[in-house]
Amino acid sequence: MSNRIMIVDDNEYVRASVEIICSTAQLGLASAASGPECLDQLGSGFKGVILMDIMMPDMDGWDTIREIVERGLYSGNVIVMLTGMGEPDAKMDGLQEYVSDYMTKPFGPDQLLESLEYYLTLLDTPVHNHGR
Amino acid sequence: MGVRNLVVIGVSTGGPLTLKSLFSELPPLDAAFLIVLHITPQMDYRIAQGLAAVASMPVTLAEEGEQLRNGNIYLAPGGLHLRLDGNSKVVLCDGPRVNYVQPSVDVTMLSLTRPLKGAMIGIVLTGMGKDGAEGIRHMKNMGGVTIAQDQKSSTIYGMPKAAAQTGAVDYVLPPRKIAGKLMELLKQIG
Repeated sequence: MSNRIMIVDDNEYVRASVEIICSTAQLGLASAASGPECLDQLGSGFKGVILMDIMMPDMDGWDTIREIVERGLYSGNVIVMLTGMGEPDAKMDGLQEYVSDYMTKPFGPDQLLESLEYYLTLLDTPVHNHGR
Repeated sequence: MGVRNLVVIGVSTGGPLTLKSLFSELPPLDAAFLIVLHITPQMDYRIAQGLAAVASMPVTLAEEGEQLRNGNIYLAPGGLHLRLDGNSKVVLCDGPRVNYVQPSVDVTMLSLTRPLKGAMIGIVLTGMGKDGAEGIRHMKNMGGVTIAQDQKSSTIYGMPKAAAQTGAVDYVLPPRKIAGKLMELLKQIG
């Protein structure tokens, strides 16, 4: 099974819990412990749903998204914030169009899987007749 | 048949699933629905297709010069602002971001003018920031009915809160009750 989900979180327990949830639904998971690791995997061709933590050392989730956009790596991906921060701060300003969803920890498996499956379906929508 | 009743919905982060939840509840209604979602050009068509899979009304991306028609759902394309000429003709335009975003809900709602040919309903759903607040005030001043999503059901309670704080919102409701209110306000068709 190819990896269509990426968890970006410096907390190994969060990465492990997402891995368990994804494995029950037979969703392949890529794991990144930092923003730069996420960028490396996108640069290597990852396409899918990115579950992004906000508070990470050195490069936080917002800075990582800015890099994704600036490097032209956004296309073909959906970004969902997965965070302990109840409401986003002003660092999100200007990134609204790139953040499809925002989930706060602790999150339930059903909530996460509903979101993942919907966004994977959207990403699988063919766009070749779109004409723009 | 052109547009008689118009519903403008502004929404941002958390929007794709919230819109899915809202429109899966609605039968075909006697209004044109225009959605302004903060979205990129890479995702707009996919979001429209995802919504079309659950909605009882046709869903398309709004196109330049198009006249809105009752019983249809239109999604503003990513990367452009959308204004309505005469409350029904789509005008897509570039220009600076408004409230940090493009398309901006305020740009669309503030383009609406008198006279109203039918009912006008403005809705602000989940999202970061305050886009849509000025727009909802404008729609209220023009005699429209205004609705904001409630805090509990909002993924991010920013835009609906800013809209409610204008004092120009008639109803604060979760998506299922917004669907119920729309069915109360608009005639079913088809």
